Amino acid sequence: MSDVLRVEVPDGVRGGRGLSPGARAVALSLAETLFASESGPPSPERLEWLGDDLDHFFAHAGGRARSVFVLCITAIDLVAPMFIRRLGRFSRLSLSERFAALTRFEESPAGLALFGAKAALCVVWYEHPAAAREVGFDGLCLVRRSA
Amino acid sequence: MSGGYHSARDHRGPLRLDCDVVVVGSGAGGAVVATELAQSGLRVIVLEEGPRVEGPLHGQMRPSESMRHVWRDGAFVAALGVGQSPTINVTMAKCVGGSSVVTGGVCFRVPGAVLHEWQHELGLEDYSEEGLEPYVSHVERAIHVEEVPVSMRSRSTTLFVEGAERLGVPIKPIRRNTKDCNGCGRCNFGCPHGAKMSVDLSYLPRAVASGAEVWSHALVERVVTRNGRAIGVVGRILNREGGAAGDRLEVRARRVVLAAGAWHTPLLLQRSGVGHPRWVGRQMTLHPGFRVLARFARPVRGWQGALQSAYTDAFEHEGITLMGLFVPTGVLGATMPGVGAEHVAAASKIDHLAMFGGIIHDAGGGSVHRGPGREPVVTYRMAPEDRAKIPRVISLLAETFFAAGAEEVFIPVLGMRGLDADAFRRTDLSRVPAARIECASQHPLGSARMGCARENSVVDPDGRVWDTQELYIADGSVLPTSLGVNPQLSIMTVATRFAWRMRDRPLPPLD
Repeated sequence: MSDVLRVEVPDGVRGGRGLSPGARAVALSLAETLFASESGPPSPERLEWLGDDLDHFFAHAGGRARSVFVLCITAIDLVAPMFIRRLGRFSRLSLSERFAALTRFEESPAGLALFGAKAALCVVWYEHPAAAREVGFDGLCLVRRSA
Repeated sequence: MSGGYHSARDHRGPLRLDCDVVVVGSGAGGAVVATELAQSGLRVIVLEEGPRVEGPLHGQMRPSESMRHVWRDGAFVAALGVGQSPTINVTMAKCVGGSSVVTGGVCFRVPGAVLHEWQHELGLEDYSEEGLEPYVSHVERAIHVEEVPVSMRSRSTTLFVEGAERLGVPIKPIRRNTKDCNGCGRCNFGCPHGAKMSVDLSYLPRAVASGAEVWSHALVERVVTRNGRAIGVVGRILNREGGAAGDRLEVRARRVVLAAGAWHTPLLLQRSGVGHPRWVGRQMTLHPGFRVLARFARPVRGWQGALQSAYTDAFEHEGITLMGLFVPTGVLGATMPGVGAEHVAAASKIDHLAMFGGIIHDAGGGSVHRGPGREPVVTYRMAPEDRAKIPRVISLLAETFFAAGAEEVFIPVLGMRGLDADAFRRTDLSRVPAARIECASQHPLGSARMGCARENSVVDPDGRVWDTQELYIADGSVLPTSLGVNPQLSIMTVATRFAWRMRDRPLPPLD
């Protein structure tokens, strides 16, 4: 799904390493939990688009940005299940368990890790034209054209 | 090599250059010094770690694309909170033009009360309103400082102003460095119309026209000194994948000017072993900032209108300035509490949200430390009197929105749901743990401060590093206290003063 273009910056940083497959899987399980509505989780296509653009984001934003993001999602992956007295990885819980774990995690002193992860996920997610339409956003200077 | 823009990204092998003056950093301070000195006939080289992003590209990028290409580390930069301090997200740019490319364009002169402190408590006698007038008016002409008309205010700001009027709080128009701005609200991601007179548009083209070379992807790691004199800089060119360091960079110069910003200039000094260790990288101020979102019954569409257009200094005596701002939907979405259906429902009302912010005129609590990589580790210990102001800032913002008719507010406490007026007034903000407070800064300052004696400062009143000849600092790190207002114009004013003084001093021969 590539209905959002990316700008090539002629003098930009040459793309480096993006997210590892493992980090991408955790990020998308978080996104699936975060952006699920009453009608269910977001479509796999939208999640794949998010994963691709996040990958591009971290390939260009630099190693430190990637490290901080991976630190945040790893903390959530390992710690959030404990908030609902479960062991194992967040990304392997059912969707309803992930809701419960993440809700409690957000209200805890560790909530900063979720805020960091949520920031990257939301910034990209709400730029998709469909997401922008869903929240009534029409800021022409801030919406990227579709292909 | 002739004057112009050059990309070290495409250079292969070591890069060796000679010049009269090498300027490290191309932001508000560096661009000013480079331009003033190039126009006086000196051979100037500007070294910038980031890329050059030409104006029209800004309008083509989504905000997250600006973040990955223009902002430092994709905006994942923080001062780690120590003790009762929140961790503070500090945003800055990494591109030709520096953070002037991503500011809201807000221009304040150094407030009179701040200058009074500099003069009478710190002994900086030349730093009076009259003394700075030639420099500040010179800069204001160069970057076209003008008042934002009321007609350009967003509805978000207008609602706050209505609330303030009901509470008797005077609101003033902001001045910005804009020309023919249409108020599209995209300033923080680079102006798509070339209307914001950031230094990549207002200064650097004049430097280049006078023969200056501006090198992008050029990372300086250390100042080279010999016999107590700066004789150049060394570093790496960023010509590998992912912006990784590659071949060696070496610039010989008769004078070195550091303008890498308050976050990185102290790191360069530490790596070079110059400057008083007690003061280098210490007492950094940040203007810790807090935002409050308010939901109204009718649509607000706060993204329509000037990003920043109004402020109030009515609480300056408390060390608080309130200022209008707005952020894109993605950032708004991140601040909406909850997950799943709850989050999605809250985000679906983003067009009903208004926003206003407040900053604290802080005492210096920041420290810059050498980290494992090429970036510093910065910690921030908020002074107790500043920590006590956080509930006050949030309360001022929230009560003003309630006076304007807001149904609920979202305060900067991680995970906290929207609060109506009664619930907000029942909330004891002083008991919220620091770790749950969401705080941001765009104004790191004062980490290599200016003073009258080498025992209590890093540079003298003309920007010269004590005890190291021909080494200057010309960025926000020299400001000796926080300002309580946006610092761009103050940095440019001080840089102009330093540049004019440098212009009058003879240069030694190349070493």
